Amino acid sequence: MPLLGADLRRDLEIRRYPLLVYGLVPLAALVLQAWLPRLLGRFAWFDLPLVVTVYFALCRRSPIQGTLMGAAMGLFEDALTQHAIGVNGIAKTIAGFLAASVGVRIDVENQAIRLVLIFLLSLMSSGLVVFVSRFLLGLDYEWRWYTALFAALGNSLIALVLFPMLDRLQSRD
Amino acid sequence: MESFFDRYRNLLVLLALLLAQIIGLAVQVRRTGEGRSTLDRGDGPGVRLIRLWAEGLVSPPERLIHSVKLGSEHLWENYLDLHNVRQQNQDLQKTIDRLRLEQAALLEDARQGQRLQALVNFQEKYIYKTVAAQAIGSSGSEQARVFYIDKGSADGLDRDMAVITADGIVGKIRDVFPNGAQVLAINDQSSGAGVILETTRIRGILRGNANGQPQIVDILADKRIQKGEVVLTAGGDQIFPRGLPVGVVDKVIQDPERDSFIDVLITPAAHLDRLDEVLVITSTQPRFNQQQQQDVATSEALKGAEAAQMKEQQKASQIMAERLPGLIDPNLPADQQPLHDSSNPNPVAHPPQALHPDRFTPGADPNSGSDASPSAAPEAAAPAEPDLAVKPQAEKSSSGGQTKPATKPQTKPALSNHPQKAKPQPVQPQKNSPGRTP
Repeated sequence: MPLLGADLRRDLEIRRYPLLVYGLVPLAALVLQAWLPRLLGRFAWFDLPLVVTVYFALCRRSPIQGTLMGAAMGLFEDALTQHAIGVNGIAKTIAGFLAASVGVRIDVENQAIRLVLIFLLSLMSSGLVVFVSRFLLGLDYEWRWYTALFAALGNSLIALVLFPMLDRLQSRD
Repeated sequence: MESFFDRYRNLLVLLALLLAQIIGLAVQVRRTGEGRSTLDRGDGPGVRLIRLWAEGLVSPPERLIHSVKLGSEHLWENYLDLHNVRQQNQDLQKTIDRLRLEQAALLEDARQGQRLQALVNFQEKYIYKTVAAQAIGSSGSEQARVFYIDKGSADGLDRDMAVITADGIVGKIRDVFPNGAQVLAINDQSSGAGVILETTRIRGILRGNANGQPQIVDILADKRIQKGEVVLTAGGDQIFPRGLPVGVVDKVIQDPERDSFIDVLITPAAHLDRLDEVLVITSTQPRFNQQQQQDVATSEALKGAEAAQMKEQQKASQIMAERLPGLIDPNLPADQQPLHDSSNPNPVAHPPQALHPDRFTPGADPNSGSDASPSAAPEAAAPAEPDLAVKPQAEKSSSGGQTKPATKPQTKPALSNHPQKAKPQPVQPQKNSPGRTP
């Protein structure tokens, strides 16, 4: 895993996208996340908002932007459930911050590194949701560890396809 | 200070956002009386606004996608995939004929049942009005079994309305927006519905588990519960009408927290994972015809008049009882008689003290009177002439030691006329006779 100076990497490899992409891609992720489970039923093991959050955080390499995007995506996800608003928000806020912080320090152009990152961040996000629900809020929140594992694997597979597609949307200037 | 903020800007933004969300969570969660945490059932204004924004943002694209999907399915099923339609039509026609015969028989049973229910004033709720809606989206979370439908408050929907399909119950409306609604499915962990097992008649509460499978909780272990038993709605939750299919028993497992309780896993009758069209029950009313409803109303009115009449009679009896003196219990000593109760509204009227006591004075010895001569003693021992007016009074006085009130009208005239006759014939039982003043 090649390590570079943070400032150097940020200056050299910050990716920029058209403004429309920043609006439409997260929206599409939210809509598909809400719509696809109706088709896939219990096999909807993925978290598209998290994948998109991690992607933009890695590519933008700005912890603040990653944090804000993670918070927004998480809060919207929470708003579509009947649960308390903020559980997914906290998890994705931290995930976005960590992804951007890691993106500053290591080479994330490598697809394998991206997949490992998204896998680990997915597990961490699931763990944070459980932590906030059960320990911070004290709610009765049952969960299955294998569901979190399958979701992390699903996110990695989606990232394998989605990240190259999103790479094509970046501005070339 | 400026360099501090510049240096830790990222971390400060992260902490600020986390702190804001934690405070927001703290506002939404409250403690129950049992010390458990739970979410507020109704969202606060701020939370509801966020949900409204999210629904407004996500619903239009979902509707679009859903319309495209329905359109393509419609195109395929109605114009392209038409083979075997003729055969299907013939089969369906046969099915319709058979169902018509069955319906005629069932209709007679239903009418008879309604008549019987009207007789016993059974307030059964029937599905009266429904609104068809399309399921357009879900929460997107494995842990939140909610979905969205394309009808909202503009179509007459409201919170806590039951959502069903032809197969069975689906859930209830949790939140309503102008053009959409959020439905909490029965397999969510926070849902709850009253159900009853059809054969064993065991009641319980239905809710989802972590795997998204509905289960009946809070029931005592019972070996009669077998796999395949039909589960129906019990009707006690004020949401689902009674008797709707819920599913069948899949498995019975031990409650992990309580030894004597079991959880009954249910295979839902409705396909909760693949919902397209659902029905929202917007009104439940008695399904009697007009004549039957009039009969029921007449019966209730008559019963009301009868009850009012009985109430009047009871009131009159109560007034009479208050005016009449209290009863004398012959088995109780004098100081424990009900008339000694200070709360008695009619206290005993004691006779006034005699100015010149004689043998007729209460408490005086009839043999020690001034005009009680020794020669009179044998006469006194002799049986007295029957005195119909005095005898009952004397018997009562001798037995209870208590008196009848002086206000009693029957005794006074008899007593007032008696001394002339009773004087030469002292009657022993009269020694405690009340109200007998010289």
